[in-house]
Formats: sequence, C-alpha cells, structure tokens
Amino acid sequence: MQTNQFQLKTGNILADRAHIDMPLLSAFFIIFLISGIAIFSASNGNSNFVIDHSINIAISIIAMTIAAQLSPMSYERIAPWLYFLCLMLLIMVLVFGETRNNATRWLNLGITFQPSELMKIAMPLMIARYIATGTLPPTNISIFISLLIVLLPTAMILLQPDLGTSILIAFSGLVIVFLSGIKKRYLFTGLLFFIASLPFIWKNIHPFQQKRVLTFLDPEQDPLGAGYHIIQSKIAIGSGGLFGKGWMNGTQGQLDFLPERTTDFIFSILAEEFGLVGVIVIVIVYLFIVGRGLLIAINSQDLFSRLVASSISLTFFIYVFVNMGMTTGILPVVGVPLPLISKGGTSSVTLMIGLGILMSIRTHKRLISK
Amino acid sequence: MEFKSSNTQEVEKEVFLSRILFCSIAILILATIIITRLFFLMVIESDQYKLRSLNNTIRMQSLPASRGLIYDRNKNVLANNQPIFQLEMIPEQVLDVDTSLEQLADLDLIKKNNIDNIKQRIDKNLQFKSIVLRRNLSEREVAVFANNRNNFKGIDIKSRLSRHYPKGEIFSHALGYVGAISGGDYARFDPSFYTGKEQIGKTSIERNYEPYLRGKPGNQKLLVNVKGRIMERIDQHPFLPGNNLILTIDSELQETAYKAMGKQKGAVVILDASNGEILVMLSSPSFDPNKFSFGLTQKEFSTLSKNKNKPLFNRAIAGQYPPGSTIKPMIALGALEMGIIDPDVFMPCEGRFFLPNYSRPFNDWSTHGAVNVVRAIQASCDVYFYKIANEMGIDKMSHFLKQFNLGAPTQVDVDSEKNGVMPNKEWKRNNFTSRENQSWYKGETVIAGIGQGYMLATPLQLALATAIIANKGQAHKPHMLKAIEFTNSGEIQLIESESIDYISSIDDKNWDLIHEGMTAVINERRGTAYGIFPDNSPIAGKTGSSQVFSIDKRSGDEVPEELRDHGLFIGFAPIDKPEIIVSIIVENGGGGRIAAAPVAEKIFTSYLEGSETNNAN
Repeated sequence: MQTNQFQLKTGNILADRAHIDMPLLSAFFIIFLISGIAIFSASNGNSNFVIDHSINIAISIIAMTIAAQLSPMSYERIAPWLYFLCLMLLIMVLVFGETRNNATRWLNLGITFQPSELMKIAMPLMIARYIATGTLPPTNISIFISLLIVLLPTAMILLQPDLGTSILIAFSGLVIVFLSGIKKRYLFTGLLFFIASLPFIWKNIHPFQQKRVLTFLDPEQDPLGAGYHIIQSKIAIGSGGLFGKGWMNGTQGQLDFLPERTTDFIFSILAEEFGLVGVIVIVIVYLFIVGRGLLIAINSQDLFSRLVASSISLTFFIYVFVNMGMTTGILPVVGVPLPLISKGGTSSVTLMIGLGILMSIRTHKRLISK
Repeated sequence: MEFKSSNTQEVEKEVFLSRILFCSIAILILATIIITRLFFLMVIESDQYKLRSLNNTIRMQSLPASRGLIYDRNKNVLANNQPIFQLEMIPEQVLDVDTSLEQLADLDLIKKNNIDNIKQRIDKNLQFKSIVLRRNLSEREVAVFANNRNNFKGIDIKSRLSRHYPKGEIFSHALGYVGAISGGDYARFDPSFYTGKEQIGKTSIERNYEPYLRGKPGNQKLLVNVKGRIMERIDQHPFLPGNNLILTIDSELQETAYKAMGKQKGAVVILDASNGEILVMLSSPSFDPNKFSFGLTQKEFSTLSKNKNKPLFNRAIAGQYPPGSTIKPMIALGALEMGIIDPDVFMPCEGRFFLPNYSRPFNDWSTHGAVNVVRAIQASCDVYFYKIANEMGIDKMSHFLKQFNLGAPTQVDVDSEKNGVMPNKEWKRNNFTSRENQSWYKGETVIAGIGQGYMLATPLQLALATAIIANKGQAHKPHMLKAIEFTNSGEIQLIESESIDYISSIDDKNWDLIHEGMTAVINERRGTAYGIFPDNSPIAGKTGSSQVFSIDKRSGDEVPEELRDHGLFIGFAPIDKPEIIVSIIVENGGGGRIAAAPVAEKIFTSYLEGSETNNAN
C-alpha cells in the first residue's frame, strides 16, 4: 500500500545533516517564546525566573540536538539497557530516595534527579523494541509481557507517589501495544478489567490523591483547601474572556491568587492575560507539533521507529490534554505540567530528548532495505 | 534480529495506519473537548468569572467619619477628637497568639492578668478582623513596640481618632460620653453609619444628637493581593464629617458652679430666663468621660457604677428630691389667686400646727410670730403654709402646682429625664396597692404645703418652675442645643425654643407679692438667706430643706452626713428683668441656708460681676 499522500518531502540538506527537523524546531521556538512571556508574567516580572528558564531551554535544545544525532537503530539497541537501568534506579528511589513534600521521587547520586523522568524516554523505546521484534499482531504472551514491562515501573512511580508521571509513562507504553494491532476484544477486555479494578486502585492510592479526585468532582466543597487551585484557575481562565486582560494585567496571577502559576497552572495565566484567542493559538501550535510527529511516524521506514515516534507524539498530546484538562477543571489535578511552557528543568529536558528522538527518526536513513 | 517478509511489513503498516487514524480522530475529539471547555469558561460563563475575579481582589474599606465637635455658647471647645495610638491584632496573621501575648506582657504593653480576657475576645472575633489589645498607648510604649515590631507579625500600632473632652469631669453630665457600640445601639441606629467605627454616643448630648454628630462614613475601593496587602487604591468616596454642635452651656459659669459645689454632692441648673437656654448643667460627683472614650474595663466600670455616691447619675435631670420650702412661693401664689389668703392679713405662728384627730402637732422649724404672705416666704414660715395647704386641699394644690410643670417632664433635649411627683388623691390611688395606703390623709396635705411628703422634683424642674415665677407665667422649654453647624455647607442652624404660657390670668399684683417675698429672702433681716449675699443684691430666691430623715431638734453637726437634710435653693436675677435662673441642690448639706445658698451666692456674684463688666464695656 502506498502512502504517498502523507509522504514527507526531503528537508533542507543542511538541517538534515544536522539531523534537525526545521518545522518542529520552529514550533519549539514559538512555544519557548510563549513560555518566556508567560513565566515573566507569572513571576510578577521577575527577570531572574526568565533567565533561569532560558538556561533550561538552552540545555533542553542541546539535549534535543544530541538526542537527534543518535540513529534510531542505536536507540533500539540501548532500549533494554536503558529500561533496566531506569528500573534499578526506581527501585533505589523506593529504598532510599529523597522525600520532598511527602513524595519520594528523587535520587541523590552526586546529582539529584528523578529517575521517573528518565523512564519517560526508556518506556516507549523498550516497548517498541519488544513489540517490533515479534510478529504483528502480537501474541498473547507478548501482550502479557508488554503489560508487565509497562505496569512494573508504573506501579513503582505510583508508589512514590506521582500520579501524573505514572499516567504518562503507562500511556506511552500502552499506546504502542495498541498501535501494534492488538485485537479489539483484548482492548475491551483490558478496559473492563481496568474499570473493574478501579475500586481496588481507589483503596490503594494515597489519601491526598483521593482528595484530589474528590475535589475535582466538586471543587466548591472546599474552596479554601483542596478546591482552591481549581476554583482560582477557573476564575483566571474564565475572567480572561475572549481577548484577555493583557500581558501582566491578569489580577489572578499578578496578585498571587493563583498558586503554582509558573509550573502546573501556567496555562491559566496565559488564558487570563491573552484570552480565548491567545490559548487557541497555543493549542494550534501544540497540535502542529503532534501532527508533525505523527507524520514522521507514518513516514518512518521500520516498525520500531514508527512505534517510538507515534508514542512520543501521542504522549506529548496527552501531556497537553491532561494539563489543560486539569486547569480548566475537567480532569483532576494530577500534577502534569504544560509541556515546554511550564517552568521546570527536568521535564523540559526529557520532553526535548523525546522530541530529539523524533528528529532522529525523521533524519536518519535506515540501512535496512524494504 | 529476524527478518520479516515484505508482505508482513505491509500488513503491519496497514494495521498501524488504521490505528494512527483512530488516534488522530481521538486527538481531534479531545482537542475539541478542550476548546469547547475553554469557550464555555471564557465566553459563555466569562461574566461570572470576571465578577469572581473582581471579588477576589477588590476590597471595600470603610473610612469612618470624624465625629462633630461640641462647643459651648462662646465657641469654647467642649469635645473634640484626638488621635490615639492603639495596639491591634489580626488573629489569623499571628503565628502563635499565646506566645505573642506573653511577649507583649513581658514588654509591659498589656497586663498579664488581661491575657485571658483578650483570648476570649479573640475567640469571639472574626479571625481576619482586627481587635484592639490596648488603647491609648503612651509615646514611650509606642517606641517600645516599634523596637520590637519584627517579633510581632499580625500585631501593629494603629492611630485612631478618639473622643476627647478637654475639661474632663466638669461637663461630663451635660455632654455625656461615647463608648463602644453595643448590639442595643445598632438596634437604635442604622449600622451602615457605623462601618469601621468603634464609638457611639452613650448619654446626654452625645447620645441625643448622635445623628448630627456621627457624620457619614466614606469608603474606598482597594486592590489587594491574596494576602490582603493593599496594592492600589482604585476609588474613594471621602467621609462626611459629623456636624458640630453649639450648646447653650456657658463654660465659664459651669466652671464657677463646679468650683462652688466643690466636693459636695448635688446638682446645679442655670437657665437663661429669656429663652430657656441651659447655661449650666452640673451634677456632682462626676467622672472623667475621657476614660470611657478609651474603653473602660469591666472592673473600672463596675467600680464607677457601684460607687455609693453615684458619679454616673445625672442628678440635674434625674435626681428627684422633695422640693421642701422652695415650693412655698408657688403655693402662696395659688392661695392668693384662690382667695384663701389676704396679703395684708397677718396670721400668728406659734411654731406648731394642730390638725383635729392628729395627736402630734406639725412643727415649724422656728416660731415666727405674726406673718403675712411676704413675711411667710421671707422667713419660710411652715405654719402659715400648713394652714394654707389644709384649707386649699391636695387636689386644688396639685392642680395649681402642675401649671409650673411640676410632676411632668420639661422635655429637655437630653435623655433619661425624670418626671418628679406632684401627688393628689388620684395619684395615691394609682400608685399604692394596699387599700389603706391608697386613701389620702389630711396630714399628707399639710406637709405637702411645705414641699414634703410624696412631692418630688428634679433640679431642672425646679429651675423651670423658677423661670415661670421670674417671668410671671411664661417661660421657654429648657434646652441645651443652641445651634448646629453643618460641616458640609458651613451653614449654621439656630435652635429656637418654644415659648409657653404655663400659667395665665394671674393677677400681676400677686406675682409682685411673690417676688417681694423672694427678694426679702435674700435682702432683708430674718430672710432665710439674708447675710449670705451682698447687701441689696438684685436677686430673688428661696431656700429649702428637704428632710431625709425625721430628726427632732438636733444640731446639724451631730447628725451623720448621709442623714442630714438636703439643701435647696432657687432664685433669679435681676429681679425686675430676670436674666438667669438658678436651681441648686446639695445633698445632705444640712439645709438650704447653710448648704445651697452659699453656692448660689458664688454663682450669682460671678454672673453679676461678669454682666457688669460686659455692660461697662
């Protein structure tokens, strides 16, 4: 079957040599520009925040560029090693991780970092490698093993506890199983199984996570406590109206009513100050990145690249969806930042490494013949 | 790595593409959900969120109005507002209330034994509302706190305007005082006038003219951040200051009266004879009204209210005393009008008066020999008036005396005035329960003739009655407000009092006889106040003694103070064209001549000297 209608043109030769996809890079720059504007406003005009953030962006772009240089084949090769390394680190976190704000997510090995962030890269690579090795559609056994590969780190991250990250990691793995052509009745069975296990999950998650979900269902129950974030975020977004209050003029943000506004709730700042028109622009840029990623996936020449590229793109979209969903009050607050806009070094770096892999897939010609 | 056939690869790709297609549709659906949601929040429900965002950040703050000033008739300031420093706390901003209070006590800024009381108030108070820990800090205390301010988050010194009375206790009963607003006050007045305010008029002028004095609070719209810190003032409606009051009080004369009374208990009321203006309203002992402005503790208040000398009690309008002999000129007038006595006929006084069926005689305080009406008033002969009263009967007497507004409110423009009692048969029936007590006895009529028994009058009532005597039947309603100075327009509205013909159709000759008798009291040998005033004073007066306890013929010094007679004096001057009316009572002073007349002398002398210098100018 021909896929000519989705064929990507060969890009700029110079960019191809540098393994950079120019359309994606342009989109990143737009996003980073928006990010700088938002963080400056959210920090009440504190340029130090913007400088810090610019450094993060620079590091992220370097990380992306490096990630783009490695060929997809080498990613396929290192995938299991990376995965098992991450698994080890996650076990170490559970045993002697560092606790901050009641969550044990950090590991101090000379530098302090979150192994779960690394797992965000390792997971799609590992599952894609595993699925791509077998025949498609996958056999029952390989489905079972895939689930094991996905659920093991997910459970460990859930224990930290970090609901947002575990959802994203689980999704990045499971979406590959789905794309590999798993039979529909398995999907339904899985869905039913998931629904059936909900009460069990409910009992085993942390009370604060339970509270978050309950608060999400009715934030006005506890307007000054757990519901405060959601209510203030909705007020910020809603009061922005069609065209917003103008940059640096959002009262919810400028007068500190909105908590965590440089991180998880930065979208609310953008909505308050730039209005519906502004946020639709942002949504369009995000959709462009996701679409471009899926196009790269479709055009890639081998199964592994296809699966990895689509997982990265779809997970990126889930990031966006979950963040916007929780700031607008249609999803519980699970602590997922707005990708590439929220302040936060590690999440930007891992995201950009993922997007670097996307570029690598786009720009490396595979040696295997059809 | 095993190789896959090209066919397998194609199948794989086909499956993959269909799944990607599915995902793309899912993405579009989810994106649509987000955009719909945003549209819903930012367009359809936007107004609601805009309002909530404003409510978040806009605070209305009340600007309390400054209270109107009170002046005396010569524009001397009697009440103003002074900035005071007070220590205030916003409980929710304080990290540890207990330790903070302990530390404040260590700095001597609050009292250790007051901490529990403060904690109770904190519990009752809204946690974001400021409560006063200590009023009226001295400059030193302000400095002490300022040095330690960093240790006390949520506690700070605030400057407020507080009522101040420069003359202290001299005018406290005339002016009244202000205090913390109570629930009862809110029932009387619209609370919207008191937003952000702490004080309200509690008694007398401060209470009665509260609606003029309080002004209208303003407000300002403030932009605040989440911690309530004020970022910007958006809008301001300034407050309207309260209107100033100009009273009829003559502070110089009031101070004279205050000095003349000294430590004695009692009251002085002085009226302007021509218009009913109250020049002096003094009740003694008094209290410092400034203490009320600062807020009395429960203990301080109960000490004041339980004091047996009743310093909080305004005797001038609420003290009810038997008028004693001060009633005699009025009864004499009635007897002349009714034809009971002939002014030229002298009647003998042997020091006692007998009623049939009464075993004991009614004693006179002295034996006067033959007296006519003028001599009887001059020497305050009891027997003469026993006879008149007996002949007149209580109902006629009561009916006549009521024309002097006795037994009825004077309708003075301050609260808590008492009516006094002008008894008659009907009154006794209505006011006693047992049948035996309900019937009127002849002996009771006899002693009513000298102002004893059930008859009671306030010093203000006696002053009004004296004004009616002085002006021969006509007088003005006594009042204390002379003018209102409206602060927004600068306009001054004068208050005119109603002139009332209390008694009409009295023969002018009879008025003259009464005046003659009262002049003789002061200026002629055997007058009860003779020798106390300078010779030939242009003053007419009458002394009175009202018995607190029946004591037979014992000299004043041996009687315990609280059982001594009350001394009364009423008078007016000058005689032919009365200007001032004086009414004095000295409780337990031992009689009108020895207690009240000397006070009157000081007042009249001071007044007459003053008017002489005025005339000379």
